[in-house]
Amino acid sequence: MAQLVQALVLGILIGGVYALMASGLTLIFGVMRIINIAQGAFLILVATVTWWLWRETGIDPIIASVITTPMMFGLGWVLYRTVVSRIRGQSASMSVLLTFGIALVIEGILNVVSGNKFRSATPSYFEQSFTIGSIHLPKPQVYGFLAAVVVLAGLYLVLTRTWTGRAIRAVSQNPSAAALVGVSATGTAALAFALGAASAGVGGSILSVLYPFFPASHYDWISRLLGIVVLGGMGSLPGAMVGALVLGLAETLTATYGSLRWSTLVFYLVIMVVLLVRPQGLFGARLREDGVTV
Amino acid sequence: MSARPFPVPGRPAAPDRPATRRRRRLGAAALGVVAALTLAACGSRPSEQATTSTEPIVIGISLPLTGDFSQPGGEAKRGYEVWQKQVNESGGLLGRQVQLKIVDDASSQDTVVSDYTKLITQDKVDLLLGTFSSLLNYPASAVAEKNQMVFVEPAGGAPNMFARGFKYLFFAQQATAPHQADVFVNYIKTLPPDQRPKTAAYPTQDDPFAAPVIESMQKQLSALGVQTVYSQTYPADTTNFQSIASQLSTKKPDLIAQGAVFEDGVGLVRSLKQLGYSPKMLFQTSAPSNAGQYSSAIGTDNTEGVFYTVSWSQDAKTPQNAEFVSGYKAAYKNADPAEDAADAFATAQVLQTAVTKVGSIDQAKIRDWLHANEVQTILGPLSWTATGEPRGQFLLAQWQSNKVQVVGPPDLATTETVVNPKPDWK
Repeated sequence: MAQLVQALVLGILIGGVYALMASGLTLIFGVMRIINIAQGAFLILVATVTWWLWRETGIDPIIASVITTPMMFGLGWVLYRTVVSRIRGQSASMSVLLTFGIALVIEGILNVVSGNKFRSATPSYFEQSFTIGSIHLPKPQVYGFLAAVVVLAGLYLVLTRTWTGRAIRAVSQNPSAAALVGVSATGTAALAFALGAASAGVGGSILSVLYPFFPASHYDWISRLLGIVVLGGMGSLPGAMVGALVLGLAETLTATYGSLRWSTLVFYLVIMVVLLVRPQGLFGARLREDGVTV
Repeated sequence: MSARPFPVPGRPAAPDRPATRRRRRLGAAALGVVAALTLAACGSRPSEQATTSTEPIVIGISLPLTGDFSQPGGEAKRGYEVWQKQVNESGGLLGRQVQLKIVDDASSQDTVVSDYTKLITQDKVDLLLGTFSSLLNYPASAVAEKNQMVFVEPAGGAPNMFARGFKYLFFAQQATAPHQADVFVNYIKTLPPDQRPKTAAYPTQDDPFAAPVIESMQKQLSALGVQTVYSQTYPADTTNFQSIASQLSTKKPDLIAQGAVFEDGVGLVRSLKQLGYSPKMLFQTSAPSNAGQYSSAIGTDNTEGVFYTVSWSQDAKTPQNAEFVSGYKAAYKNADPAEDAADAFATAQVLQTAVTKVGSIDQAKIRDWLHANEVQTILGPLSWTATGEPRGQFLLAQWQSNKVQVVGPPDLATTETVVNPKPDWK
């Protein structure tokens, strides 16, 4: 019983962190139909900057996200204005090419500037845990989970309660109608891209504490994040959260009760089954163009 | 670090020291090249012209100086060049100066084949030295074999290298992957029965150079009566180690022996500490050899007592090791030599010893001498089976007071102290 609770708790904690990392990806896709392959590289970029800030100043890595989040917001906005906006209206495959290119550039710069080495931020609590009875809650996971909840709740409030958020959602649902009521598609898209990049600010700082990383680690992360977003439904924030929890629980439960060999595979089996039944993912909205053939 | 796995083509470049990550998983791709090879490498072997003693001896080498293996390839080049400088300063080989002809194969199997073919047939080099990684040495050694040239190589320990019955191939490290853990088992055997671990857990990454080490250790320790309480293989992309640690902490094994490449080794130690379980003995295959990166990732104090195996140690009292270390530091801005450079230096030592003993550069005589004799190198003594597989054992290293010490085999140990049991996590 204790083992089951332990596995569930660990799965939920790690799922929360995954959800935060995937939220930017799904937001950007939802508004712009851009599959941002560079989201993983954004995370590693932030993790590297966080590690450096932590080493130089001793600032807590998770707190350092108050510096990295605005930095990523600015980077996202500049990237959108300078390159990403040029492929508006092109097919989604163009966005994959472009953002993959951005990911490679970031990886290359990190290689040159910070060196091709494993790093990891190790604040005092990085390998401590809270103990409740026989259940252990690793502190970095708990802090990461709490930060994820705060950021996701904030993001959700912005999207549902503010004019800007409603504008973002309006553009994602129907760009022409949004334009008719005076919502600037370009400005909103830049904002959404910047918000998506900014979400990597907290995600990346948590990553720097939880896992050793090096410049090319972003390949591992982007594949995992894409899996989460596809499972939850491309563009759906609640979908990304559910997808992330499914991944976290699938990993820990399979590792505890099944075979470790299967622990990463089970998640992809779940995706395949879900896509067979619901091609749009768990929370994905069916688009009008999908309906034509039905 | 000791073994040289096949890497995956197209996998992202991996970090400097945890090179095993980059080098793992290139599976059987090499096998397919063999057919092409036998066709490609059909040049005639160079004649051993009787040369005047004033002409330098030219040694042909192809190394991955760019591409996936550029980091270890560059270290191997340094190792060879440190050797060259020292041998020339001490009068050369057979009284002749040594000249290295090093070309870049860009980490490509096709290029390494054409490189060695060209070195042998067009440049007519006198001797060859090997390249880096099983991936590249597999086809390169076939070119050398075809041309009946002795091929001593520093980094190609995949078991299938030695399944081909080659007569001119020699792997200049102590052992292949399946024998890497022998030195640890031997250490356990020296312990009085009541101090040996009674139970053991064997988590390992699904990696061609981690899993065989752990499998063979499990088999040998089981034969000694160590009970297996956990044995699981996890995929390379596993990042979540709390579930493993959680199971281990309920089974409480005396020994945890993990086939760890790098991140997985760090991940398991962190998770074990978070769950408050510290085994009496901890062995990890490669992760702890990435010195600074390992200790900073798990916390310096937590390294105390961790065992691993390695081919070379900077502090080893082996012949010429001190000269190698000081020569390397002098040439490269006081940097500490990498294991890959040391392996290359040892490879050149093997060839140098054989040529000196034989008194000529007659390939067949060098080959026969190497098959019949033991060579002293900075890695310790090396000797080979008929197929060029080394017969020795690795060094058993242990983290002690934030330094790496060699604790076995006894004649190569840098200290007599062995930390056992491992202290609790700090």
